[in-house]
Amino acid sequence: MKTRVTELLGIEYPIIQGGMAWVAEYHLAAAVSNAGGLGIIGAASAPAEVVREQIRKTKELTDKPFGVNVMLMNPNADEVAQVIVEEGVKVVTTGAGNPSKYMKMWKEAGVKVIPVVASVALAKLMERAGADAVVAEGTESGGHIGSTTTMALVPQVVDAVNIPVIAAGGIADGRGFAASMMLGAEAVQMGTRFCVAEEAITHDNYKLRIIKAKDIDSEVTGLSHGHPVRQLRNNMTKEYLKLEKEGVPMEELEYLTLGSLRKAVMDGDTINGTVMAGQIAAMVKEVQPCKDIIEEIMSDAKKLLNRE
Amino acid sequence: MLEKVIEIVKEQLNVEAEITAESNFKEDLGADSLDLFEIVMAFEEEFGTEIPTEDLESIATVGDVVNYLNAKGVN
Repeated sequence: MKTRVTELLGIEYPIIQGGMAWVAEYHLAAAVSNAGGLGIIGAASAPAEVVREQIRKTKELTDKPFGVNVMLMNPNADEVAQVIVEEGVKVVTTGAGNPSKYMKMWKEAGVKVIPVVASVALAKLMERAGADAVVAEGTESGGHIGSTTTMALVPQVVDAVNIPVIAAGGIADGRGFAASMMLGAEAVQMGTRFCVAEEAITHDNYKLRIIKAKDIDSEVTGLSHGHPVRQLRNNMTKEYLKLEKEGVPMEELEYLTLGSLRKAVMDGDTINGTVMAGQIAAMVKEVQPCKDIIEEIMSDAKKLLNRE
Repeated sequence: MLEKVIEIVKEQLNVEAEITAESNFKEDLGADSLDLFEIVMAFEEEFGTEIPTEDLESIATVGDVVNYLNAKGVN
């Protein structure tokens, strides 16, 4: 399926993998790219040299395009931004802030820049600053989220900008893909479905928790201090939400979650760790190779859209 | 200029609060980063100028906006 996004990125299918912290490392990114989508390395709060190593390892596993997600609140963001240029990465997505200060450097190096946005105003400002596309991410997504739903946000962003829009949040199958196209998106970004991909090096317990999730298992913590995070409910969310309700200061809450994502994703403690996943988690039913995930989605979507 | 800026901020945030040059967008007015982008676009429209997003880092209070616009020669 050809769209402006497949043309822009030189990929076969308009499916982009989210830059999930800890989950989106080189095995997963390379597998998604090899399957015809766009794999992404999530730089999260990693030091720049770790990101460089991840980029080099991805290159060993694939000769297809792949990207790096830069978390702009990362204190190392300046160095990570530089490493991306030095290593010749072709695509950058950005989250948690405003990437304008890196735009000139990236554009001069021929990097395609795709900010993740949660509002129309930010989408417009990013287009003006030189973004090649935007990911319009609805609140259904896992991890750090905005407040508008994918259904409401995507068409509004599509109307507001001329650059291509990539829909994200609550998309995990051919129906979600097709619906996104109907809303005017030209690609989708998926996180949760790829969290349980065979190639993801995440702990089996984490994959199993997503697979066993029910529709009402999704909780949002941190709304009261302006940094909402969507995750699956467990001891951690119960404790956090209780303290949050009591008005415990943000610093103390942050201490509670220090290293908790790693605990869930890598160590497999899905009871006390932070199990980030989107609202769509309950629809994700099995561990599959990235190739099967992408081909299944495209085949279903083509039938629904009656389009090649 | 200050009155106009305050008027726009009030309209964008839909608040009745007392707003002065010292009002901090985040701390006093409860505006998050998305609200700030919204307000900036309203300023651009009203004053017919472009405020590049990288300049936003220097803006924390309502007074900062006035100083910024004055420095750009906006009336």
